[in-house]
Amino acid sequence: MQTIIPKTLAVFSSLLRADFITQWRNRRSFILLLLVPVIILISWKGIVDKFGGPFALSSCITIGLVAIGLMGYSNSIARDRDKGVFQRLRVAPMPSWCIMGSRLMVQLVMILLLTIIIFIAGKNIDHITLTPSGYAISILTSLVGGAVYLGLGQLIVGLIQNPETVNSTSRLTYFVFIMVGMFGELGVLGDQLKEIVMWSPYGTVKRIIAAGMQPGT
Amino acid sequence: MAMISGNSILQVEGLNIYYGNFHAVRDISFHVLPGEIFGLLGPNGAGKTSTLSAVEGLLKPHSGSITIAGYDTHEKLLYAKAAIGVQLQATSFQPELTVNEILQLYAGIYGVSLDKKNLAEILKSIKLEETAGKKFRQLSGGQQQRVSLAIATLHDPKLVLLDEPTSGLDPQSRRQLWERMEAMREKDHSVLLTTHSMEEAEAVCDRIAIIDHGRLIAIDKPELIIENNKTNPEVIRASRRGKITLEDVFIGLTGKAIRS
Repeated sequence: MQTIIPKTLAVFSSLLRADFITQWRNRRSFILLLLVPVIILISWKGIVDKFGGPFALSSCITIGLVAIGLMGYSNSIARDRDKGVFQRLRVAPMPSWCIMGSRLMVQLVMILLLTIIIFIAGKNIDHITLTPSGYAISILTSLVGGAVYLGLGQLIVGLIQNPETVNSTSRLTYFVFIMVGMFGELGVLGDQLKEIVMWSPYGTVKRIIAAGMQPGT
Repeated sequence: MAMISGNSILQVEGLNIYYGNFHAVRDISFHVLPGEIFGLLGPNGAGKTSTLSAVEGLLKPHSGSITIAGYDTHEKLLYAKAAIGVQLQATSFQPELTVNEILQLYAGIYGVSLDKKNLAEILKSIKLEETAGKKFRQLSGGQQQRVSLAIATLHDPKLVLLDEPTSGLDPQSRRQLWERMEAMREKDHSVLLTTHSMEEAEAVCDRIAIIDHGRLIAIDKPELIIENNKTNPEVIRASRRGKITLEDVFIGLTGKAIRS
């Protein structure tokens, strides 16, 4: 009997389906990750008037990206690695990139969803509107920015084996990124820190997204 | 040490595995024939799981060759992987997925078309019809093992690798698993299993290999291993009830010291 290798596309779509089901079953944690940027957007009416819509939207999207990359992604990878989920998949006849490729694809869809929800909330709550090209480019820059935080999440998971330690490290990193990023950027923590934040992953991603929102400027 | 067999389903030749400077598997050679249940025995840390991991393609050996169903794992790894079914020692599936979804996922991965009728048959064969919609994390240890075994045999593989499949199972579940292994043998499928249970090795294995400190120290039919070692003074010393058992031979050959 001839041994048959399944088609990579069929394998990838099976993995994607399973990963999306898993993500859907964990939707409560995704909603919690979404809640923080949406709450910030709602409570930032003054900031919108002072710094403009793109500043508020890009800050909220960046906060969501940090949460997805550092907490959502890294924790799910650490847990599944600990349980042997990846090991079981690795003995199957498929290219190894399929396993992580499918996981990353799900995260990119989550980033897309986050960006759209922030845009909807911004329009309905703070009446922030962008040009069609502004929306399109900022979705693209959000995906690029999201990749930065997925990379950082992967770094944490690569350096730390224990899922509990990954969980606490990613939470701590998230907290530091958000607090220092948000307040540092506003100049509350001094000019030197403001400069550092501007060139940090938080500041860089935020500025790229904000620039994408105003392609004409 | 091992006989070279042209029609063997698995051929391991001169396998060496290192972890840094630690030589975990030392020049191991053996083969598994079609329709044979082959047991790999050894104390903790002897090199059983490392050997199995190399066969599964999870570990890259330092030297040696592994051929599965005619496919060299160096050259045709995906084909070799497609020819085996695997039940790992510490395997879990995504805990949020149901039994149905896990079976569908692996059917897709192994290229098996699974309609409702096939799915129902598989669930019936592992006696999980009632729990098909249950999430994997909600299953008992025995039920999880059954799902794992069903997935290992889903694509009708020529060789099934089972890493300590009965550890933690109650006697009923263990017997059921033995019957499944024997059913695989009847279909001319081969099984390579690692186990700590001498009772299991004697009950189901056609041949066994004993590994210690990464070396193959005995390979034969269980009754012949007992026969060939019954006059060994270490084995006689290990004997507890006068009659020499496989466990006595195992203790005699590998020593009484507890391994970590």
